[in-house]
Amino acid sequence: MNWVLDFYNYRIVEQYLGRFAEGLENTLIAAGVSLVAAVILGTILALGRMSGRAILWRPVAGYVAFVLATPLLVQIYLIYYGLPILVPATGRWSELTLGIMALSLHNAAYMSEIIRGGIGSVSRGQIEGGKAVGMSYLQRLRYIVLPQAFANTLPPLLGQTAVLIKDTSLLSIIAVFDFLSAGLLLNSERVRPNESFLTIAVGYLAIYAVMMSLSWAVKRWLAGPAWNVGR
Amino acid sequence: MRNVLARAATSLAVMAAAWFTVATVAHADEMDDILKRGELIVAVQTQGPPVSFVDKNGERTGFAVEFSREMAKDLGVKAVFQDYDWKGLIPALLAGKVDMIAGDMTPTPQRASQLLFSRPMFFNDTIAFATKDSEFKSWEDLNKEGVTVAALQGSTYADAVTKYLPKATLKVFAGGGPAVAQTLAMGRVNAMVGGQDYNTYVRQFDTLKPLDGVMTREPLAFATRPNAFHLKMWLDNYVELKTADNSLRDLLAYWWTSDAWEKDHK
Amino acid sequence: MQHYVDVTLSILPFLWSGFIQTIWISLVAIAAGSILGFVIGVVRSQRVPVLHQLFGLYIHILRGSPFLVQLYVFYFVLPNTGIEMLQWSSEMAAFVSLSVYTSSYVAEIIMGAIDTVPRGQWEAATSLGLKRIPILCLVVLPQALKLAVPPMSGVYVNIIKNTAILSVIGISELTRQGEISIMRFPRDVLFVYGLIALIYFIYCYPVLRFTRWAERKVGGGRLINLD
Repeated sequence: MNWVLDFYNYRIVEQYLGRFAEGLENTLIAAGVSLVAAVILGTILALGRMSGRAILWRPVAGYVAFVLATPLLVQIYLIYYGLPILVPATGRWSELTLGIMALSLHNAAYMSEIIRGGIGSVSRGQIEGGKAVGMSYLQRLRYIVLPQAFANTLPPLLGQTAVLIKDTSLLSIIAVFDFLSAGLLLNSERVRPNESFLTIAVGYLAIYAVMMSLSWAVKRWLAGPAWNVGR
Repeated sequence: MRNVLARAATSLAVMAAAWFTVATVAHADEMDDILKRGELIVAVQTQGPPVSFVDKNGERTGFAVEFSREMAKDLGVKAVFQDYDWKGLIPALLAGKVDMIAGDMTPTPQRASQLLFSRPMFFNDTIAFATKDSEFKSWEDLNKEGVTVAALQGSTYADAVTKYLPKATLKVFAGGGPAVAQTLAMGRVNAMVGGQDYNTYVRQFDTLKPLDGVMTREPLAFATRPNAFHLKMWLDNYVELKTADNSLRDLLAYWWTSDAWEKDHK
Repeated sequence: MQHYVDVTLSILPFLWSGFIQTIWISLVAIAAGSILGFVIGVVRSQRVPVLHQLFGLYIHILRGSPFLVQLYVFYFVLPNTGIEMLQWSSEMAAFVSLSVYTSSYVAEIIMGAIDTVPRGQWEAATSLGLKRIPILCLVVLPQALKLAVPPMSGVYVNIIKNTAILSVIGISELTRQGEISIMRFPRDVLFVYGLIALIYFIYCYPVLRFTRWAERKVGGGRLINLD
């Protein structure tokens, strides 16, 4: 194993396993919670954006444009430093909570664009066809609308989720100890860049792989036995 | 035919081997490289005054920068500065992008096992800061349950908190000194721990004050690659010389132990 | 109020020089990354057995790992191989790594767009006696490119914002210049970041508007299956 130690000294990494685990936990919590919040909030935003009333869609469009066209780093600082000025009670919230809030608000804008595309992609004829063969509302949702809308939104949704997971590392500016921070700590304390950056890369790729396999399983389940037809 | 080819290959191999030997002799050491290149390439981190920063005229300056310039002048080469983020500083040195790191790095045992450090060039007092209206008088007062103390991620200040304020809760921020000071001014933490150079920011906040006492006094040194013995010895010698003729003391008096630099650069 | 005017005037030259860096690095990376991504996307859409999976892996690795790590590999690890060609300056490393990163996103969009062109188009062209390459160039790509334009601006805006990470290897782009300015005005962290956000907005918003315009040109926001 000597040649491995030359390039990647796992003995040093072993000493930091605890810190990596702590960082991984925070990354997964921040990413998981803000993903769910962003999808919920994004759906609401998407519905607002698709509304015919200017009083609804204009503010939403403005919000989405602001979020998409400015860096997340700035948005995190805005929430962290700015929000307690507006709402003093939030000054007592933990860094992780405020960070999750910033990530959710940021990603909700992206999700709303994706969901808007997904809702628009299921044609009315499909739903009417379902009615014609006597399906109930729930059946139509389960067997017609959701599989198609989901299949159509899934790729961009996954892409955004991958970005979200990587973006959680920005929360380190407000003292959230994430997975990337653990690697950087190793680099700073032990001066071992290879060990630090390779471990980070492997960790993130593992999260990504798990996410991809999960989504693949969900997609197959939703599509039922006909998953392979139509391509 | 095959014989000729084999012989040609052998002589080529010999020539290549000879070339490499010559090349290694020619690259005898890093000091030769610097002199031949005519450039001393220095990695700096623009972490803020007074060690390394960009002044009001857009000029890169500070103690580490000016001291490196003097070194280059004495060597008869040009000083070239490469600006890196803290994350990129050490990898840049190890990957051979620069000759040395000029900054305020503490030569911890772990770091010294991977890099060569010069003799300490100056010393940095680790001090604590709190808001003026707080009841804290000295840094020892911070060692209580329920007190949160902020420090920069991956810094020796964070280590000092863990070591000397075990009862307090440590929060590490990655965003830089001013952002940490802002966090303290907003009351999100009870105190922060940093170097004496933090005074430059803290003075601009009306609500913050330094606490009494010095937590640690850390030597700060320049770093070279672990095999750059000549450069390391040269740096040590340089510190010796510049201490003897008092020019290092004068430089430090201007940048480090007083605010004299502020009227020229701020 | 006067204070903020003073701060703005004092730091604007710094932010401006950073902005120029950001613009020029992002434009080069977007151009090079789009060309590279286009080629990969077209090759992948042809489902050539080994090549398809190989490029698939390329895309997944780039999308699954943080850009910071990729930058580190391009600037710090590759030079250690000793190959003269890979001894990049920080600017070159920034261009290459950002272009490669861009290509992974562009390739997916291009492949998705090509897949969306109905099979009937292929079949009709084949029945006219056209070969694979002419069909691709004359029939499929013109239709696919139209579909690929709208989602592209989202990618481009993300690339522009990702340039902020380049400060690790010493590129003084906009965010970095802002952070250097904050050293001089530590009390105005939020204000300086606000200015930075405004400048990013001025650059990115037109790029986003371009999508809406392109969507209308192409005819409705038709969703492209990226899988």
